[in-house]
Amino acid sequence: MEYDKILEKVLNREEYLVVGKSVARVDALDKALGRAMFTGDYISKGSVVVKVLRSTQPHARIVGIDAGDALGVQGVLAVLTASDIPGENQIGYALPDQPLLNDVKVHYVGDPIALVCALDEEAASEGLEAVRVEYEPLKPHFDVDSALESGAEPIHEGGNIATTTRIRKGDIGRGFSEADVVVEETYETPYQEHMCLETEAAYAIPEGVGKVTVIGTMQSPFLVREKVAQVLGWSLNRVRVIQALTGGAFGKKDDMGPIVSAMAALAAIKLGRPSALVLDRDESAAHSVKRYPARIRYRSGARGDGRITAAEVDITLDCGAYANRAPYWLWRQTVHATGPYEVENVYVDGRAVYTNKVYGGSFRGFGDVAIHFAAESQVDRLAEKLGMDPIEFRLRNVLRPGSRTGCDQLLDHSVGMEECLRRVEEASNWKGLRRGERRGIRVRGVGVGCGFHGISTSRAAPDWSAAYLILNMDGTFTYRTGICELGQGSPIGHAKIVAEILGAPLEAIRVEGPDTDSTPDARPTHGSRGLMLGGTAAAEAALELRRRMVEVAAEMLECGAGEVELREGRAYRRGEPSRAVSFSEIAEELYLRGLSPAAYGFYAPPKRQFDPKTGLGVSYSVYTFTATVAEVEVDTETGCVDVLRVWPAMDVGKAVDPLMIEGQIHGAISQGMGFALMERLVVEEGRVLNPNFKDYIIPSSMDLPTVEKPILVEAPYRHSAFGAKGVGEPAIISIVPAIVNAIHHATGLRFNRLPVTPEALYMALRGGRR
Amino acid sequence: MRISFKLNGKEVACEARDNTSLLDLLRVEMGVRSVKKGCDQGECGACTVLLDGQPVNSCLVLAPQLMDREVTTVEGLQEDPIMRGLVESFIEGGAIQCGFCTPGMLLSAYALLRDNPRPTVEDVKRAIVGNLCRCTGYVNIVKAIIDASERMRDE
Amino acid sequence: MKPLPPFRVHRPRTLGEALRLLKEMEDARPIAGGTDVIPAMREGALRAKNLIDLTLIEELRGIWERGDEILIGATTTLSQLERSETIAERAPALRAAASSIGSVQIRNLGTIGGNLCNASPAADTAPPLLALNAAVEIASEDGTRTVPLSGLFAGPKMNTLKPHELLTSVRFRIPPDGAGMSFQKLGRRRGHTISLVNASAYLELEGGTCREARLALGSVAPTPIRVREAEELMRGRRVTEDLIEEAASTCYELVNPIDDLRASADYRREMARVLARRALREAWEKAGG
Repeated sequence: MEYDKILEKVLNREEYLVVGKSVARVDALDKALGRAMFTGDYISKGSVVVKVLRSTQPHARIVGIDAGDALGVQGVLAVLTASDIPGENQIGYALPDQPLLNDVKVHYVGDPIALVCALDEEAASEGLEAVRVEYEPLKPHFDVDSALESGAEPIHEGGNIATTTRIRKGDIGRGFSEADVVVEETYETPYQEHMCLETEAAYAIPEGVGKVTVIGTMQSPFLVREKVAQVLGWSLNRVRVIQALTGGAFGKKDDMGPIVSAMAALAAIKLGRPSALVLDRDESAAHSVKRYPARIRYRSGARGDGRITAAEVDITLDCGAYANRAPYWLWRQTVHATGPYEVENVYVDGRAVYTNKVYGGSFRGFGDVAIHFAAESQVDRLAEKLGMDPIEFRLRNVLRPGSRTGCDQLLDHSVGMEECLRRVEEASNWKGLRRGERRGIRVRGVGVGCGFHGISTSRAAPDWSAAYLILNMDGTFTYRTGICELGQGSPIGHAKIVAEILGAPLEAIRVEGPDTDSTPDARPTHGSRGLMLGGTAAAEAALELRRRMVEVAAEMLECGAGEVELREGRAYRRGEPSRAVSFSEIAEELYLRGLSPAAYGFYAPPKRQFDPKTGLGVSYSVYTFTATVAEVEVDTETGCVDVLRVWPAMDVGKAVDPLMIEGQIHGAISQGMGFALMERLVVEEGRVLNPNFKDYIIPSSMDLPTVEKPILVEAPYRHSAFGAKGVGEPAIISIVPAIVNAIHHATGLRFNRLPVTPEALYMALRGGRR
Repeated sequence: MRISFKLNGKEVACEARDNTSLLDLLRVEMGVRSVKKGCDQGECGACTVLLDGQPVNSCLVLAPQLMDREVTTVEGLQEDPIMRGLVESFIEGGAIQCGFCTPGMLLSAYALLRDNPRPTVEDVKRAIVGNLCRCTGYVNIVKAIIDASERMRDE
Repeated sequence: MKPLPPFRVHRPRTLGEALRLLKEMEDARPIAGGTDVIPAMREGALRAKNLIDLTLIEELRGIWERGDEILIGATTTLSQLERSETIAERAPALRAAASSIGSVQIRNLGTIGGNLCNASPAADTAPPLLALNAAVEIASEDGTRTVPLSGLFAGPKMNTLKPHELLTSVRFRIPPDGAGMSFQKLGRRRGHTISLVNASAYLELEGGTCREARLALGSVAPTPIRVREAEELMRGRRVTEDLIEEAASTCYELVNPIDDLRASADYRREMARVLARRALREAWEKAGG
């Protein structure tokens, strides 16, 4: 199936009806009027309030949990511990290292121990204070080096290394011997906290004794169902999971969804009452997943002509208390370690190390932010050593159709990296901005960052999606997908794909959100796969339904199937639009004939093969490419950095909805700006000292730079509907190095650690002056 | 204690303990769900309401402090031409993604345009600095507010 | 986070009633906008059994010119300060400070009395008021007393008010025409941010000579401070860039900042000098230099 050629080959058209055009989101009005319902809006008065009793110790054995006093608090209904779990007390993602409720040991400050269930907030809060936990402290590890020392206290059975990765491509020795310049640096990137405006929440309602419904914040409804069922010891069909409209996710809700849902469900079935768990802001900011901190030692070399000859990369990921996504995160970093460039000789070694701190998890970019910060800093440094312009240097190395990546994957098409880079170079007047001396108290500088991001899941992990489409008797459609609306608009993108294929008005298609009882498993909404994979499943469903509709319409119109045109909710013979049958008439025919008005669309991208021993092979089906230029102004007296202007470009394959893609780029730029300049989680002895908006600083409206209209390059991917690739994450990857490289241009200073706060920059300037 | 105040133009009354925040009162007692709890610390602005016409964080206002005052949420401004213009601009301009910050954001924007029909970009940024957004990066929000103000002037 | 404790809220209509309640009610404290009190209670840093809400007391809210003084009632909101023409004309540095606090939402609730009595070393209204030689009026059932503003601050988040006392107003002499005032603030982002360091300068020039100089800094000591040595250095001398630099440099040694999770003492010390210089320069320009 040539998915990228659907328009020409299947629809026999030259122009798109809705794909490629920006539309007003159908869910926007409800959101503006305050009618849109988020998880908290479903919770009725009288529901049980669930609060999580968490460890106050970073590393300790639990000697005893005494809930006696807590149960004596008026309004407290129950205190649930591990012994109350009827199924499996296990919620780990990649490795089975994570109990839902701990009763053996605790691994970080914030580790869940018990659930206090009460009639209201006050009672629950009082109950929390009244539970007595006796700990036997163990030596805590607050950094990876401590955890890696020989004889170090193990945090989990099997030692403190959760997982390792490697790439061996080419001959690294030869690569360096060919290099005329070599750069070796160590980069450190910190935690980043998502600070979604809506915190994690789940509302569980028992349906009789045999079933429970959970409404909550999540990104993978079927994963949530699986974990909830596992914890309850129930079969899958006894758990119904509904994704409520979610107020920001960025990965946090993917990891936390199963946890809060399982906790709420446990309370609900134990008490036989609707039970709600809503995390407090400080609870979420201190104790739930964050971007993995990383330490990357990077050595790379280039020839005098600007070609990178070797990259030797060593990645140490600070896992925190649980592995969670670490193997996937680390693999993604490993396969993207070179950045979007052709490098023949690549050695990468990676390891994820447990520490007794809040654990890492999914966050936009999923490892590619840190590795590109390192790779793009290296590239800038190599260029500088060669006296070459940074973009010029990059252009000599960028991946192109026919190139092989750092893990030796052949990219035969859909590689828009060069066009992205050239176009931002032009749009920003790069050469003009790079010229001239940097003088004065306020100095300006311009920098570039590039990146690539494999879409969806990696290596040989099974990846597929599914969708369900029904033609109703009145000619409208009901579309069901398991892909979640998180604000990014993917399900709306599916509707557009369906509308395009069926020639139906967009308003005639209603998207029903994920409900494991009735929507098909579309697999998770992460990895920027929501539109590409979910949307191609939608295309499959639409194509199937279209075939049936066309077949029936052809008979009704007395013409060949190949002559039938579907447009604006009607079918007609090409060239005779006045003689048409409506979709409702077609529907009636379908129903009358006993033909199914519903279609199940299934899509799996091309199979990938990957050798985990060498790290070589096809790691992702396709990559999205991004290039961003950023102009900054540095106040050299205070160290404050203003990002003045940003020119983003992205190869999106096919822009299904430019406005929505721009929205993703804007949001990613803002998060990247925060990560580069101001977001600093302060963790001392395993305790987060600033779990709040007051002291964990995210960009406000007044920090907004001028973001030039994003350049959307289209290098279509053959194996997805209309050639569209994922767009949610990549823009955060290129903005971070663009800003840090711009700071270098302005001040001559390079930063290997983030964030570059005013104080950090000021101190570096001062250090240079002395 | 019994609190009586005006909510979206209507006289209302309810029982509430003194330590109930306006935010909790609205969501739990009055069923007004457009007002969101993002932090409960006066930092994020998702709980913004108009109190006697002025934007405030409802998580910081106590129930007894509402006596005889007027509270306005987006539900109460649906017929207002300034709000309608803003809603239209927000929707058309891609200023709404997850929607959690949106009601609060609209109220801050509304108060701005009501008092300053010709805001500069800086004015807009200042007006919404107390409404944090993690999805949009503010780009389309600022643009939509400026667009709405220009449309208002054209009418 | 903790739920708010089960306090009672009293809403007196007169100052006298408020003072009586403050004295008679158990574990009572005043509240106005709640922008500091409510978050502190939710963090568990503050408790009270009775809150005395001051926002209904008309005599406590307002901005008045009385003779050669300006009087600001304690429950005047930061927004009201921001919008006041009197303040814009007579004390622009105070206006700049008030408008730099938090967000629109915070300023619509927060009050000048609250900002001062909270006694954060970073309180933004403090440096301009210190530079204006402001005094505060404090009332109790036993009477009223007036103290210089600096006498209100005892230490970080500690004021000198006795248990049954209320701050009722702030007052300062109207600066002469031609006086130049400025306010500078350094935060961790461009808006809605706590000050890492703030500064306010006040200059009166005669010809090119400094007739009067006042310099106040915040967030670099346990309380907001006046930098007397810098001021003395400038009085009577011809104002130049070099003199300003000299005066600003004294701040480096004279301040006493701490390391905290927002900034290091070292950085604050450096920024004290930078902001002092910027504040003095701006005040100089405004004074016609």
